[in-house]
Amino acid sequence: MLAIYKKEMRTYFTHMMGYVFLAFFLLLVGIWFTLLNVRSADGNFHHVLSNVTIFFFILIPILTMRLFSEEARQKTDQLLFTSPLSVGAIVLGKFLAAFSLFLIGVGITVIFPLLLRGYGELPVSQITGAFVGFVLLGAACIAVGVFISVLTDNQIIAAVVTMGAIFVMFLMDAFAARHTSTFVSLVFVLLVIAAVAAVWYNATRKAVIAIAVGVIGLIIASGLYLLNNLIFDGIITRVLLWFSVFARFNVFTRGVLRFSDVIYYLSFSALFIYLTVNVIEKRRWR
Amino acid sequence: MIEVKNLTKKYGIRTAIDDLNFSIKAGEIVGFLGPNGAGKTTTMNIMTGFIAATSGDVTINGLDILAEPERAKANIGYLPDTPPVYGDMRVCEYLNFVADIKGVRKGRKEMLEYVMKQVSISDISRRLIKNLSRGYRQRVGLAQAMVGNPKVIIMDEPTIGLDPKQIIEMRDVVKRLGKKHTVILSSHIMQEVSAVCDRVLIINRGKIVATGTPEGLSEGLQKGSGQMQVRVKGEREQILSALREVSIIKETSAEKGKESGTIDLLLNGGEGVDIREAIFRCMARNNFPILMMKPTELTLEEIFLSLTESDRLGINATLPQPAEIAKPENEGGGEDVSNL
Repeated sequence: MLAIYKKEMRTYFTHMMGYVFLAFFLLLVGIWFTLLNVRSADGNFHHVLSNVTIFFFILIPILTMRLFSEEARQKTDQLLFTSPLSVGAIVLGKFLAAFSLFLIGVGITVIFPLLLRGYGELPVSQITGAFVGFVLLGAACIAVGVFISVLTDNQIIAAVVTMGAIFVMFLMDAFAARHTSTFVSLVFVLLVIAAVAAVWYNATRKAVIAIAVGVIGLIIASGLYLLNNLIFDGIITRVLLWFSVFARFNVFTRGVLRFSDVIYYLSFSALFIYLTVNVIEKRRWR
Repeated sequence: MIEVKNLTKKYGIRTAIDDLNFSIKAGEIVGFLGPNGAGKTTTMNIMTGFIAATSGDVTINGLDILAEPERAKANIGYLPDTPPVYGDMRVCEYLNFVADIKGVRKGRKEMLEYVMKQVSISDISRRLIKNLSRGYRQRVGLAQAMVGNPKVIIMDEPTIGLDPKQIIEMRDVVKRLGKKHTVILSSHIMQEVSAVCDRVLIINRGKIVATGTPEGLSEGLQKGSGQMQVRVKGEREQILSALREVSIIKETSAEKGKESGTIDLLLNGGEGVDIREAIFRCMARNNFPILMMKPTELTLEEIFLSLTESDRLGINATLPQPAEIAKPENEGGGEDVSNL
């Protein structure tokens, strides 16, 4: 794992990527810092971090776009995946490298609130909370980016899809806020079941089992709907809220450090790392 | 050392390899021979654990590649068809990285120096890989496979894209490797494989159509296919009428020669019949100078064709021979470059 980590960190700084990320990241922080703190003589640095998260859909792909796609393109994935390293170690090494570069950026950012300190009382708990949330949110988005980069051998496609995915995650609250009828919820659940069956078939190539899973799921869901359609009330909202990683960040900026939110971000990142490992391992499945 | 049992790989409905069975002993140099798309690369990718087979098992040094991938892979050095090198690294940095991921700690410096010396890249160790020529990249790729001193080295088309001099050097390297490692290489060039390998597996359409030693292959050469290409100076009709007197020649066909005043003949005495002397005596008697006489070379495709048509399939099938199989030479250069 350490070997992969070292190699990725090196690559960030031998290619442009590391510098581009840091420059762009610090430029964004600097702009918001000037507007929100310096110009308006305000010590609420956590607002700056909130505003920077809007640009995660550009920042994160810079970090993650080439991690696996470039290996596939230059066929060096054959070296990595035929080496005695476990797939988990390779994925984790790459994730941690991207995350470290992100942390370097955040680390430099700490200077800004320190600069403000001489000019008055700062909302320390809110700023600290915002930093913690910012780092966790970054980890979650990086995990999504790593996952997407393993799906393609083209950096540009990986970047664009990651942008789209993070942007949709950002808008998720807005989607979730819409109230939908129970029937629409049922259709949503049925679509999800069909999708699960399709993915199952794609992974295992066992049509009978996949169709059986799909049909049984559809029957159970429809039956439940006929018995008591209130079960389906607000189900879309609940599912979407699970994906709304950005909504939880706001809790941190209020200076509230909730254990459940920390666990949420960590498990969200772990889920996507796990999915990444599985996509790679799938090549070795029967 | 390597056991492959009932190995099958299907891509959708297309069967890439179909029920392969073979075993390779420690210290052997084995060549996979087959045309493009025969399933050589797929087989190697499965043996190295890069992809899984649809069914069947591969064990390396007693370790199943799927059940214990990390331990099994530690026994393998793999050079894929494209050298898996990072263009933005220097050669020494790259090999250090490979040593890292293979977990080489003790004596790393000596090992890397040894490996670089083996494939003669010591003098370019400070250069960026992206600036290297195809031949040097191939060598760096091979050096990568040798790092960690694995028991088995698998090479997919190691000489593709190399110039004749580099091909000979690569053959020497492979022979040297064969002394310490079990080596498996693939090629679609007959001479290539027979020059260095102890044993040859011929693969076509995902199946092993024949196996044999290069010596066994050369044996067939003495007999030959019985067909000779002959270029004779003289009048077409006179030559053909002279040849009609030679009863041993079963088939004759002629066309205008590439040189003026000559004709090119294709003479066949049937399988296993040597007609060279008869041709010489006939032409000498009638005073027609023979400018060229050589056995018809069977291309790989023709070998496959006759193999798939013949009933003598399977292990140790006798092969119809291409004319110019180089006999395995003892050591170092001296190969016939004109074959390449």
